[in-house]
Amino acid sequence: MKRIHAAAGATAMSLALLMSGCAVTSTDSGDNGSTGSDELGGSITIACGAMEDWCQAMTTAFTAETGVQANFVRLSSGETVARLDAARDNPEFDVWHGGPVDGFGAARDAGLLEAYDSPNAAAIPDKYKDADHYWTGVYVGALGFCSNTKVLDELGVDVPDSWEDLLDPKLKGQISTAHPSTSGTAFTTLWTQVTRLGGEEEGLEYMKKMHNNVLQYSKSGTAPGQIAGRGEVAVGLVFSHDCVKYQEEGLTDLTVSFPKEGTGYEIGGVALVKGSKNKTAAQAYIDWTLTAEAQNIGPTVGSYQVLTNPDAAVDDRMVKLEDVEFVDYDFVAAAAAKPGLTARFDAEIAAQPKE
Amino acid sequence: MTISNATVPRARRFSLRSRETPLDLTTRIAVVLVVLILGVLIVLPLVNILSSAVSEQGLAVFNSMFSSVNLQVLQNTVVLGVLVGAIGTVIGFLLAYVQVRLEFRGKKLLHLLALLPIVSPPFAVATAVITLFGRSGIITRDLLGITPTLYGLPGLTIVLSLSFFPAAYMNMLGLMRSLDPSLDEAAASIGANKWRTFVTVTLPMLVPGFASSFLLLFVEAIADLANPLVIGGDFTVLSSRAYIAITGEYNVGAGAAYSLVLLLPGLLVFLIQRYWATRKSVVSVTGKPAGRPAVITSIPARIVLLTLSGLLALLIVTIYATVIVGGFVKILGINNEFDLSHYRYVLSGIGSDAMITTTVLALIATPIAGVLGLVIAWLITRKLRRGRGLIDFLGMLGLAVPGTVLGIGYALTFNKPLGFGNVAILPALAGGGAVLGGAIAIVMVYVIRSSPSGQRSGVAALQQIDVAIDEASASLGASGVTTFRKVTLPLIRPALLSGLIYAFARSMTTLSPIIFITTPQTKIMTSQILSEVDAGRFGNAFAYCTILIVIVMSVIGLLNLFVRDSSVPKAAGLSSATIN
Amino acid sequence: MSTTLPTRTEQDAEKPTGELVLRDVEKSFGVGENRVTAVDHINLTVKPGEFVTLLGPSGCGKTTTLRMIAGFESPTSGSVLLDGEDMLRLTPDRRPMAMVFQSYALFPHMTVFDNVAYGLKLRKVPAKQLKEEVGFALASMGLTALADRAPNQLSGGQQQRVALARAMVVKPKVLLFDEPLSNLDAKLRVQMRLEIRRLQRLLGISSVYVTHDQDEAMSLSDRIVVMRSGRIEQVGTPDEIYRTPESVFVADFIGRANFLDVSEASTSSREGHADITVLGQRMSARAHRDAVAAPESVLLVRPEAIHVRRFAEGDDKVAGNHGRVLNAVFYGESVEYEIETEVGTIVAVVSDPVYEEIVPVGDLVGISFDPERAWLLPAAS
Repeated sequence: MKRIHAAAGATAMSLALLMSGCAVTSTDSGDNGSTGSDELGGSITIACGAMEDWCQAMTTAFTAETGVQANFVRLSSGETVARLDAARDNPEFDVWHGGPVDGFGAARDAGLLEAYDSPNAAAIPDKYKDADHYWTGVYVGALGFCSNTKVLDELGVDVPDSWEDLLDPKLKGQISTAHPSTSGTAFTTLWTQVTRLGGEEEGLEYMKKMHNNVLQYSKSGTAPGQIAGRGEVAVGLVFSHDCVKYQEEGLTDLTVSFPKEGTGYEIGGVALVKGSKNKTAAQAYIDWTLTAEAQNIGPTVGSYQVLTNPDAAVDDRMVKLEDVEFVDYDFVAAAAAKPGLTARFDAEIAAQPKE
Repeated sequence: MTISNATVPRARRFSLRSRETPLDLTTRIAVVLVVLILGVLIVLPLVNILSSAVSEQGLAVFNSMFSSVNLQVLQNTVVLGVLVGAIGTVIGFLLAYVQVRLEFRGKKLLHLLALLPIVSPPFAVATAVITLFGRSGIITRDLLGITPTLYGLPGLTIVLSLSFFPAAYMNMLGLMRSLDPSLDEAAASIGANKWRTFVTVTLPMLVPGFASSFLLLFVEAIADLANPLVIGGDFTVLSSRAYIAITGEYNVGAGAAYSLVLLLPGLLVFLIQRYWATRKSVVSVTGKPAGRPAVITSIPARIVLLTLSGLLALLIVTIYATVIVGGFVKILGINNEFDLSHYRYVLSGIGSDAMITTTVLALIATPIAGVLGLVIAWLITRKLRRGRGLIDFLGMLGLAVPGTVLGIGYALTFNKPLGFGNVAILPALAGGGAVLGGAIAIVMVYVIRSSPSGQRSGVAALQQIDVAIDEASASLGASGVTTFRKVTLPLIRPALLSGLIYAFARSMTTLSPIIFITTPQTKIMTSQILSEVDAGRFGNAFAYCTILIVIVMSVIGLLNLFVRDSSVPKAAGLSSATIN
Repeated sequence: MSTTLPTRTEQDAEKPTGELVLRDVEKSFGVGENRVTAVDHINLTVKPGEFVTLLGPSGCGKTTTLRMIAGFESPTSGSVLLDGEDMLRLTPDRRPMAMVFQSYALFPHMTVFDNVAYGLKLRKVPAKQLKEEVGFALASMGLTALADRAPNQLSGGQQQRVALARAMVVKPKVLLFDEPLSNLDAKLRVQMRLEIRRLQRLLGISSVYVTHDQDEAMSLSDRIVVMRSGRIEQVGTPDEIYRTPESVFVADFIGRANFLDVSEASTSSREGHADITVLGQRMSARAHRDAVAAPESVLLVRPEAIHVRRFAEGDDKVAGNHGRVLNAVFYGESVEYEIETEVGTIVAVVSDPVYEEIVPVGDLVGISFDPERAWLLPAAS
């Protein structure tokens, strides 16, 4: 008797297995290899480097507008490169959208991206585009300090306005930043030091000193803002727009400041993945992201990056780029140096005990 | 989870008579199937990881293994394992002792609380602990005014001990329940007072239990990936190092090498525990344990024990209360406004996808794991002679191998189609380009991780059944399969049930193996929770955790109803010792 | 360490020790309607050096009584005194008694030697003396060669001997036995009980022994306490229990019994006898003091007391004194007859039979017995 139950159960399970494949795969990236047709259809998968809600809003809007089913996976910059490389022969993604272009450069160097000069890219200023059209910038962010005023008060430390301030012994264990291997934000921090101090050795030297004040290296680049917001640390190193977002979400003790020596910035990019299974739709997506309309979605979900399309709206909460001191950030050099530099960081700094 | 004493069938009271007759056809097919399944599910990935580890990049890591940095990582890992092993065992023993030797109201509740961490994802505790005891923790800063640093070894130790002690608890509970109470009385009757009895008689007999619990918790602690990522601070351990190597540096060889270093202690500990513990099974030697153990009535002892367990219970309740409440307020500890946005987030879009996918996949894997474990148990206790040890070992590997190792192995093995030369035998099962969005690989991982428990319970239960029962059934004309169906199966139902429950809970809450094989189409809840925690969105994480706990408990409740048949009288000897 | 454990000098005193008195001991559970009484106001005295067995069917309260003596259960009311000292205020470890368990309860993680030495170590006996005493105890049990073995390497009989040695070596005032031989096979049981009795006699320790096996009780005890439903049915020597049981229950419980219907019971001129009519004959049989006064009485005649002879032609068929053989079972040393008579089925046992003279089934036989070997009892109420 019980055996019948079990047999029925087993059959049901097998059916469920088959059906789950359908449930799980709301899109099947295998069957829309329409390479030559002009029709937009099927689905695309985006590797998305910005915040989850931003990714959600973008993909939903695109789907609503074009009917192409857009899915995304939120990944940090390093993870994206790793995944693209792992799936090199059988790409799981069609587009990389959002996240600092340093990573895009690394991906391009590894032959994982395909050049695409979108018609809409003409509107975007040159300084925000890859010379060879491998990626185009969709937003700009300034790297800054996201500090918790309450904690700073308790520590008796002023709001930091220079990189040297971060080395203050009073801030021991009070800094939060991400891991440069996995997070574009943290790599930007690292490369900023290299640029302003004049070389890789000097840059790593600074990071070594700062390491003593770091609580722990998070996986995601935006987490340090949250950690500071909750009072776990005094200062988080994030792009200023992320800090503003957290302020809006209710972490009201946060305040934004920038180092006077000059800081780095990120260009958030969009790029076509080589070997995309739905190139037409992917390209349409890229075209769409470069429009003012698409870029304006950012502020609606609390993302206050400065937008690259000159026609896009300017929000008060966005940073005024002209008010900040920037270093001369070389994206190409940064991209080239990334693998070696992050490996050195891992080996020489990350796992070291703090003094 | 718990590796009890009864893993290797030994000639005991019901001796295993030798099988001189050749195996019948059904059995032979079963053996071949089992070998094939185990081969694909565990042997292949392991082989691949081994070969990757000895690749150029991997060897580089091995060579640098004794560099100061890596040595530190190694040391960290061992220290963590030892601390968690010790503390978790003590907690588990305390609670088990109180269950068996004390009478008080709320015993059942304490038992359930002790099992609560089983049904929750590992970082539920970590996230709650940060919220409660962190720099700006509700308890530490707001109530006590202190700001301890939890990130790193202290926090990891606390969190891991609280997350894994249930395994020690169940282990010690089963052991203590099977102690012969007349031993205590014998000691008392010749003049030993309660304390002397405890120290000279009870404790020494529990040594195998302490040892196996310690070793078990050691392995679980060093294999854990989720918590070091969340609360590890700069306390790098092998698992997080491997993770960074793969996802950050994309150095699979290095990641494999780090994982391999993890594999060795895990396997070693597993082997030691198996052969040593089974050899020294000293729980009760003769006769039937008569009566129940004497209850402790001394007031001072009661006060001490009840206070300690009470504090522990309070801690656990607080932590899980935090998890539940945290999902319903904006930002717990900072802004305690009631807010449903976390649940809205979790129950819509990606959140609900992840929920459904994870539950469905776990539900699919559970019966498969249960059946697989049971069939293996049946083969090794009843049918096989020569291959017995090997099949037993292979079956248990899924649990002995650290989750990270398994995950990497799977990613390596199944990301591409499998075949010889140009002939593809299996399509890609994991990773982005996989069939069914990689769901199959995830189900496979779930199965191989949870079948060992069913195997172990099955072996323990089958050993308690006299072979003569099988023989009686055969002499009345029933075939092997019929006997299994009508006679054996009903008798081992409790073991089957516990195997299923464990399989489901484990699958739903596991992270380390699947983190490397999730795909855009297959979103797994634990992976989502990790992202939320890492991004600092604790509210969402709490909401996820709460829902996950609810799902697991509901399914366990359903399983209890479905599998249990009250018309089958509880067979003597198949007590809760087999349930873990 | 407590000082209430008997020191060695006390043991060597001249005064006989080990008098155990149970006074009005009761053990009940539950309240009101659900009140269950396991032991119902029993009174018992065990004399120094005496071997007393508590015998009865399961559930009669014998084990509970034993455990109350040991201290593992507390009486609801009543007192337990040892040499005049109140035992109830002492926990089991402080009572100068030692118990041997049904499951032997050997400490599995200790060798045989350590098991036996356990109690002595507790009493801080100096090492040299300890070794001597343990060695002696092991030798007296024939266990010297096994001293270093672990319990799980021993046979059942060996384990029980270790348990015995362990209890005896601490020289308790009272030895308690909880069905210690139940787990052994028949032959071993017989062997072991001889051992136990020999040792007990040698050491002179008062002993209370619980069993449901009447052969054990009969062969071991100075006195037997037959219990039923929490009450004592009879206390007496094996002989008394066997030949002059107090009740039908006791008579039936020990040995085998025929209960013959009796009529016209009247007091006899001979003391301790009564005149009765049974099997159609008038005779004067030994009688229980309450037998005649009782509304009904039965005559106990043990099977071995029944004479069976072939009914020859022409024998006087007095009503009642004959019957037909239903069954004749040959056991080698005896033959057992089941005989159907007008007053019911009677079992007779004939020892050392001549095989050819065994009465076949279906034949008529004559039945008779010696009235002095019979016993008149009040019928069971």
